[in-house]
Amino acid sequence: MHEPLDPLIHVPARLRIVVTLATLSEGDALSFTRLQNMLELTPGNLITHLRKLEDAGYLTSTKTGNGTGSTTSLALTARGRAALDAYTEALRNLLGGLAP
Amino acid sequence: MDMTGDTDQAASAGEGAGLDPREAARILDQARRQARRESDPRSALAAVVGAGVFLFGYGAVWWSMRDQQVYSGPAGWSLAVLYGLIAVSAITAGVAGRRAHAGVSGRARRQLWGVAAAVAAAGVGAWVVQGSLRYLGVSLEIVYGIYGPTVPLIALAAVAAGTAAMRESWLQLGVCIAIIIVASASTFFGPLGAWGLTGLGCCLVLLAYAAGLVVEQWRT
Repeated sequence: MHEPLDPLIHVPARLRIVVTLATLSEGDALSFTRLQNMLELTPGNLITHLRKLEDAGYLTSTKTGNGTGSTTSLALTARGRAALDAYTEALRNLLGGLAP
Repeated sequence: MDMTGDTDQAASAGEGAGLDPREAARILDQARRQARRESDPRSALAAVVGAGVFLFGYGAVWWSMRDQQVYSGPAGWSLAVLYGLIAVSAITAGVAGRRAHAGVSGRARRQLWGVAAAVAAAGVGAWVVQGSLRYLGVSLEIVYGIYGPTVPLIALAAVAAGTAAMRESWLQLGVCIAIIIVASASTFFGPLGAWGLTGLGCCLVLLAYAAGLVVEQWRT
């Protein structure tokens, strides 16, 4: 009996978001703009996915500054990292040996 | 989340109910490799430019002194070549570093400032000691001919080695240790040896490093 794949992560765009943020060290954050450039998603699409992940407690967003100079930084929470680990493990079990 | 979007297009349009686990595994692996590659500050191009500094910069100084029976120092033009190349190398490495760290905040950014402070302290400290040696009457041959091309380099490489070890970047650690060995061993051969052997040896080390980086990045 395999663990079910987390439906919140098991979406191409959200999987890429979570994996990209997970490559940062704990305590680091990535700006919205840089994440958007890396994933080549539209702002609206990215925001929609980020909201779902934030609502689930998988990531946090911090806005600094005001107006056009404002920056939104995104970081994976411990819960998000654990969810990705569990997802990877479930996927590995499902496929019988996924390279890490 | 305080972000404004142009649409609220349903993420459900891309929901993964039908996402094949094999496809998910491919996306996961690809995203991880891409993120690691794009956030890697190491640059093969910067390493090749650094190799050029040693070959042509140190080489120019060696060339200008090669016929001196009594040490009288390098020619002004050779120092201009050396410092010009150092500036180009610093800019190349800086651009690669800025690209990798763009948009990253938090601990990594603070660590970067810490490393920059350590590098600056090592460099300034080494050059201050060079000044003090001259002040105390040590010969120009030792101060500028042997100490100048090697000890500041050793100090900077030692800081870089420590940073590489903390990051478990073994390739970079090996390069730093090799530079320290080459620079320190070259001091046994006088000013010409210090400039010439350090230049040639460090050039080869950095070219090997660039090749190693290309292979490593090609594999990932």
